[in-house]
Amino acid sequence: MNIVFSVFQQTMFFTIPLLIVALGGMFSERSGIINIALEGIMIMGAFVSILFINRTQGVLSGQTQLILAVVIAAIAGMLFSLFHAFASINMKADQTISGTALNLFAPAFAIFVARILQGVQQIQFTNTFRIESVPVLGNIPIIGDLFFKNTYITTYIGILILILSTIVLYKTKFGLRLRACGEHPQAADSVGINVYKMQYAGVLISGAFAGIGGLVFVIPTSTNFNATVAGYGFLALAVLIFGQWHPVRILFASFFFGLMKTIAASYSGIPVLASLGVPSYIYKMVPYVTTLVVLVFTSKNSQAPRAEGIPYDKGAR
Amino acid sequence: MKKKLLSFVLAGCMIASLTACGSSSKTTEPTNDSSKTETTESTDAATDTKEDAVAEGEASADGYELALVTDIGTIDDKSFNQGAWEGVVQYAKESGKSYKYYQPAEKTTDSYVETIDLAIEGGAKVVVCPGYLFEEAVFISQDKYTDVKFILLDGEPHNADYSEYKTADNTMAILFQEDEAGFLAGYAAVKDGYTKLGFMGGMAVPAVIRFGYGFVQGADYAASELGLDSVEISYHYTGGFDATPEVQTLAASWYGAGTEVIFGCGGGVGNSVMAAAEANGKAVIGVDVDQSPESDTVITSAMKKLSVSVYDGIKAVYDNAFQGGKTTTFTAANDGVGLPMETSKFKTFSSDDYDSVFAKLAGGEIKINNDTKESDTNAAVGAFGLKVAKVNVVQ
Repeated sequence: MNIVFSVFQQTMFFTIPLLIVALGGMFSERSGIINIALEGIMIMGAFVSILFINRTQGVLSGQTQLILAVVIAAIAGMLFSLFHAFASINMKADQTISGTALNLFAPAFAIFVARILQGVQQIQFTNTFRIESVPVLGNIPIIGDLFFKNTYITTYIGILILILSTIVLYKTKFGLRLRACGEHPQAADSVGINVYKMQYAGVLISGAFAGIGGLVFVIPTSTNFNATVAGYGFLALAVLIFGQWHPVRILFASFFFGLMKTIAASYSGIPVLASLGVPSYIYKMVPYVTTLVVLVFTSKNSQAPRAEGIPYDKGAR
Repeated sequence: MKKKLLSFVLAGCMIASLTACGSSSKTTEPTNDSSKTETTESTDAATDTKEDAVAEGEASADGYELALVTDIGTIDDKSFNQGAWEGVVQYAKESGKSYKYYQPAEKTTDSYVETIDLAIEGGAKVVVCPGYLFEEAVFISQDKYTDVKFILLDGEPHNADYSEYKTADNTMAILFQEDEAGFLAGYAAVKDGYTKLGFMGGMAVPAVIRFGYGFVQGADYAASELGLDSVEISYHYTGGFDATPEVQTLAASWYGAGTEVIFGCGGGVGNSVMAAAEANGKAVIGVDVDQSPESDTVITSAMKKLSVSVYDGIKAVYDNAFQGGKTTTFTAANDGVGLPMETSKFKTFSSDDYDSVFAKLAGGEIKINNDTKESDTNAAVGAFGLKVAKVNVVQ
């Protein structure tokens, strides 16, 4: 049973950053702007917030510091995504190219600034954030072991983001307008919605989430930040497509990816799987093969926002 | 006719600009990615900015005398390149030489050779090449520039198909007995009471493999010395040098399954192992340099004294004592490998224990099987003839 718990806890370390970042991507794409800059924004968010943690070490610690870092990561990601918003909304640039530019810029910037500030590119941090067991809730049998032990407060922030995203997207005026801009911006404009504003909102939300995702990714994974998030921004895009731009499906998709990645990485420590003798490559392939299969079956009536990737031109009605 | 002429001119322009791209890319601003071409001034290096001004000032006269060409990593990789770079910087500062490092565009021999050319054009008299990836590049360059001295770490110059090995008189090849460092780490861990060990290497390159083999044999040696019944070792190469959730998860699963200490052998891999160890309250053994400042979980480090070897090498050049034309191996015998006993967190393993096993290694009393030719880890481990330790190779 302990193995089940530890696999589940590890799965969360994969799932939550993927979930948060993919939800960010969802907001942007639902507003009609493709955001492949998620990787770069993750790096930027992680960079600024880890730097904050590094600088305030000793003064702050524990959950206060982590929550402040989350806020800082969100702001950093948002500011950075402004470049993408400006290029692709105001300047009507190719959204893929603008996103790629951000992806290339972010790690270079992180290393450059880190070296100027402290001489080396790795930014050290001390992890004082892990929660061994959540008070009271951690004592619940099974559920406590699954959800409330060996965890980070960011896991709950991720779940909160999921719930809020679902409500905002489907139950508010703002969400309806945002979706309309992604499907048919001309129609939205004709009823008096400011399409540019909506698209800005979408990209900025994606920036904030991706920034948080970067921080959440780095904290349990390493003891320093080395200007990389190991391609998880791109993986989040795959999760987004696998989840068909729908928040709850994105949750399942990211959980599935997370579980498969956990099993692929840790099967040697799980006696049942170790004795099966299936090579780890099989586990590593499963999520991607599944994505392909799912795409084959869903591409005919894909849920992708219709107007995504097309710069909105007021004049073209 | 006019059109034809125009198209010719345009085509010419295009070709010119393409070639310009090719060569100018080498002088672009420093960026992060090791896959990109960079020439980086010593200004943004891991050094003191004040001293750098000196280095740069002198450069105007006859370029940068001491050059280091990095391999995949950067000069602050906390391991190979950094160790070598520290040696360069230390010597340069002491004797007022100018110095600079160059980062090749790609991980290819062609690119390494080009970068070495560039360093020599930039005035380099001594070129330090850290890593076995430079074996071919140095083989080519050593004959091209006979008045330039090459220091090759972790390898011996040879041609592309390994049919010819040649270390010219202007080249000093430095090898390390990583297996001895690994042996010491494995020995110390078992002597200190750990019976469930793990080895997590980066890519299965010779240096990493030797660390692992030594580690396994050291653990076995200690186990039979202590008369233990069983020592279990999980053994795995991650295939990369990055910190990833995969590595962290694998380490966490090993710790969860009872492993007490993992030898994290390969750049960022070690950091992910440390993260897992912190979460599980377990221990880590560091690699290459003393990694104890990186995490409290690091109980010791299997060190290669890179900076010492580079420093000695450069010093020899200027003292006219350069040991060109042959391979120098840094071992326990000449204090080239070891554990940092001052910063180690052992419970029972004392400095005296360390000194006695170190002396045995240095004196050749202990023989380690370090044959990295066998590509199959299972077969290789089987050939050690381990008495007590049981190695579980994870593919």
